[in-house]
Amino acid sequence: MLAVSPLRTTTTTKDEREGDMANFPIDNDDFPDFSSGNLLDSIDFDDLFVGIQDGDVLPDLEMDPEILAEFSAVSGGEESSDMNTSSSESIRKVEVEESQRKAEEEDKISGSSSGLNSGVQGEEIASKRDEFAVTNTSTVAKDGGDRGRKSSTSTAQAKNSQGKRKVKVDWTPELHRRFVQAVEQLGVDKAVPSRILELMGIDCLTRHNIASHLQKYRSHRKHMLAREAEAASWSQRRQMYGTMAATAGGGGGGKREMSPWLAPTMGFPPITPMHHPYRPLHVWGHPTMDQSLMHIWPKHLAHSPSPPPTAAPPAWAATPPHPPPPDPSFWHPHHQRVPNALTPGTPCFPPPLAPVRFAPPPVPGIPPHHAMYKVDTGIGVPTGQPGLQAPNFDFHPSKESIDAAIGDVLSKPWLPLPLGLKPPALDSVLVELQLQGIPKIPPT
Amino acid sequence: MADDSSASYIHLVQHLIEKCLIFHMSKEECMEALSKYANIKPVITSTVWNELEKENKVFFEQYSQSQGKEDRMSEAETIEMIQKMISDSSKDSAD
Repeated sequence: MLAVSPLRTTTTTKDEREGDMANFPIDNDDFPDFSSGNLLDSIDFDDLFVGIQDGDVLPDLEMDPEILAEFSAVSGGEESSDMNTSSSESIRKVEVEESQRKAEEEDKISGSSSGLNSGVQGEEIASKRDEFAVTNTSTVAKDGGDRGRKSSTSTAQAKNSQGKRKVKVDWTPELHRRFVQAVEQLGVDKAVPSRILELMGIDCLTRHNIASHLQKYRSHRKHMLAREAEAASWSQRRQMYGTMAATAGGGGGGKREMSPWLAPTMGFPPITPMHHPYRPLHVWGHPTMDQSLMHIWPKHLAHSPSPPPTAAPPAWAATPPHPPPPDPSFWHPHHQRVPNALTPGTPCFPPPLAPVRFAPPPVPGIPPHHAMYKVDTGIGVPTGQPGLQAPNFDFHPSKESIDAAIGDVLSKPWLPLPLGLKPPALDSVLVELQLQGIPKIPPT
Repeated sequence: MADDSSASYIHLVQHLIEKCLIFHMSKEECMEALSKYANIKPVITSTVWNELEKENKVFFEQYSQSQGKEDRMSEAETIEMIQKMISDSSKDSAD
């Protein structure tokens, strides 16, 4: 339908499509189940949108007058099949439209008020069909929405017979920020694309753009919240372990589990949103996860000369793994770079550092600085532990500890820098090294 | 690309140095440890350390002060130092 073939039966279409086009993964959650839809079910709409970008495409405002006329004529009924029929014919495949529409309507009902375009309903249906996103009648919009199901969009449409073009919207951080502001102002659940659009006051955005962006945003938020919850529960668990370790340590005698000593991973400020390579959860402007890991370690938590603390490593090493990018898509572009070197100031992923004698582990969302300052003098001084002196004990780190720490860095280079010092300029270091007689690093 | 591997190598060395800083080791101790446990030439460690010091003057100043203080600062002092580091870092980063 989209691109090439004029009217066809859905079945045929599908087959052809499948034959012709690449497969795009469908995000099943987002799409309504067209139970009524005969063929629709089987149609892989992703195929329809080869090459179509994400839904942030501005609808093509230039519509053929005829089509417009048709739509206007039909206006009224949002879901009028008639409209579909008549208009669709000129625009898309009739059958598909119809069935789609019906199915969609059922689905959409839940979310939207009547006046809304597919924009809103298009949350499910991804207003990718931007070509009609423009202010046409709801039906028209719906057409857009229908098509737009998958995240891919209008580009395909653009290529279709109407010759509509979609302007791609680039969701810059600034734009996104305004979007988030508007959404929050309205209330996430109540945020309606048309209102958001008004609040944002940006001309070149259409309701469809907003709607699709909103959909993504909401889905992303869910992920974030889930993660936060998980992180919070991790933190609690760490705390428990820490407490247990402390108790055990205190009661146990000789062994000094100076867990807090281990890995003081400070996520160093600044935690500015958006620009960081390692910012898996921050894309959506919610300062939740980013700053959750800021522990301070007074430096001289007892390192006993004994073998490296064993309780700590589990607490620390078992850090909840960096969340695997939940969706390797647009939303988490940064994830790809996580394994690379992290620059200082990289926010640490929540957690878990052995909280032992620390103030409660930072709750996600709490600015790390504050968390740090809460460290009290009792930290790391396991009073009651046999053999543990007050702060003035002998501190030289044991060889094993050093070895362990170094080994850890070597094996996991992606870990954030513990102190997050400002890195020197690469050139400067290289030049300096050359002066010292090292032409190339790493040395072969 | 040579640049990338150089960059990541240097980053690695920085990371290791930071670990040593947490142990409150001196530059020499650091050079020794990295050489021993990570096979990093002392001259490289030393260079990176120097460069880090240039970029993070304040931190290193305080660090060496605490090094001087009978080998260890009290916890309170350590905390204070770190707090200062952080605010300095923010200032720096804010630039």
